[in-house]
Amino acid sequence: MADVSKTVSAPLYSDGAESIRAEAGRTAVVVDRAPAAKCSVVVEKGASLLHYRFCGGTDAAVDAVVEEGGKYEVLTLQTAGGNVGMTVSLAGSGASCRSDAVYVLSGGEKGSFVSKVAHNADDTVSSQLIKGAVAGTAEETFEGTVLIPPGHKGIDGAQQHRALLLSPTATVMAVPRLEIYSDDVKCAHGSAVGDLDEYQLYYLQTRGIGEEEAKKVLVGAFLNEVTDGIFDETLKAEFAKRIEAALPF
Amino acid sequence: MTAWLEIKDLKASVDDKDILNGLNMTVNEGEVHAVMGPNGAGKSTLFNVLCGNPHYRVTGGEVLFKGKNLLDMSVDERAHEGVFLAFQLPVEIPGISMATFMKYALNAGRRAKGMKDFDAVGYMKHVKVRSKALGVTDEMLKRPVNVGFSGGEKKRMEMFQMAVLEPSLCMVDEMDSGLDVDALKVVADAINVMRAADRSFMLISHNRRFLESVGVDKVHVLVKGKVVKTGGRDLLEELTSFAAYQEAE
Repeated sequence: MADVSKTVSAPLYSDGAESIRAEAGRTAVVVDRAPAAKCSVVVEKGASLLHYRFCGGTDAAVDAVVEEGGKYEVLTLQTAGGNVGMTVSLAGSGASCRSDAVYVLSGGEKGSFVSKVAHNADDTVSSQLIKGAVAGTAEETFEGTVLIPPGHKGIDGAQQHRALLLSPTATVMAVPRLEIYSDDVKCAHGSAVGDLDEYQLYYLQTRGIGEEEAKKVLVGAFLNEVTDGIFDETLKAEFAKRIEAALPF
Repeated sequence: MTAWLEIKDLKASVDDKDILNGLNMTVNEGEVHAVMGPNGAGKSTLFNVLCGNPHYRVTGGEVLFKGKNLLDMSVDERAHEGVFLAFQLPVEIPGISMATFMKYALNAGRRAKGMKDFDAVGYMKHVKVRSKALGVTDEMLKRPVNVGFSGGEKKRMEMFQMAVLEPSLCMVDEMDSGLDVDALKVVADAINVMRAADRSFMLISHNRRFLESVGVDKVHVLVKGKVVKTGGRDLLEELTSFAAYQEAE
């Protein structure tokens, strides 16, 4: 990300965009605070696109094509129910994609994050870090597919999903799926859903931090891993603020 | 000297197993006490019960700290009263820096006393004096809490937290175990520098040299959840084995 921060002066705010195109060889940063139900993305040859999406309450899908040597980094924040989707085709050789996400649901909200990354060319790289926190009686479904069709080589795909259940009645359903039909492939994935660490909570409390605040600090720290890499401090602060506002304590 | 901590007939269990079986101990203002005894005697349990660790259940007895009923307070309230535990195994918290962690802790303590939060300059001043004195670098303050720290560094950070929070009862749980001579000196120096007329220490240790370098006022021998002998620092000389006390039980 560091090299990108040198060539980009400021993010472009484009709420509700239905199509985004990063022109060949160019670098673009797009922030969408009210994503449309469907948004087509094209990252042309050698272009880089950083795409930030604040979702919540409505359905929002992205359909992206990344051409040769293109780089697509998309970070989605889901702070209320609704179906958030993401389809990425790494269509040209050397194309790469990082499709991270954070979800925070509470009350009786129901949400889903469904992603499909297809490695349709040689030497393509994808990575995905999804972290979530779910409270109340909320339900989240994470469905993540990494598809590697036959006949490709030099593929590297990674997917990690981690979620915290903040109440005994909260639910997270995780369906990680690797579909690998080629041989020369490096793929790693993992998914874990658990409770807040009681020992961490106790440690914070022994330092004088009250239970509610300690939980907030720990969940924030857990989710931070995804947003830590955001190069723009203002944008990073906006993510932190929205995450904090979505937490039930 | 006034009694700072009065423990009367304290009984506690964990997972229905009795660990403390009627423990009595008094620590006066400004004193340094060594808590010794064989493994499984209940030394760490005692410290955790005094901190309010929810894993332990108090089944009898009373604990007064500065005349107030300690057992009625939540973990963070005890910290606000000045109770501090330096952990034998400090917990790692990815996603939050030591500097931020201490800011939360200090401000929680200030708010409990009806004071305003530290401003950025005041906070940095408070921290810098202490980090410098304890050899804690800026880089260590920026790293996530205890993540990737060596055993010695973790214990140095426990001492740093103790210095930052300025507690009035410092419980130090086996700070000396697994440390080399230099790291041990850091811990002993920190305790010696922080010794004050209005601050008491309780130290769990098996290391006679460490306890001598700190200069303890009193020594307690715990066996099977009870104090079986209390004496002055000359008791350190006599304690070559706990076998005699265990047999006497």
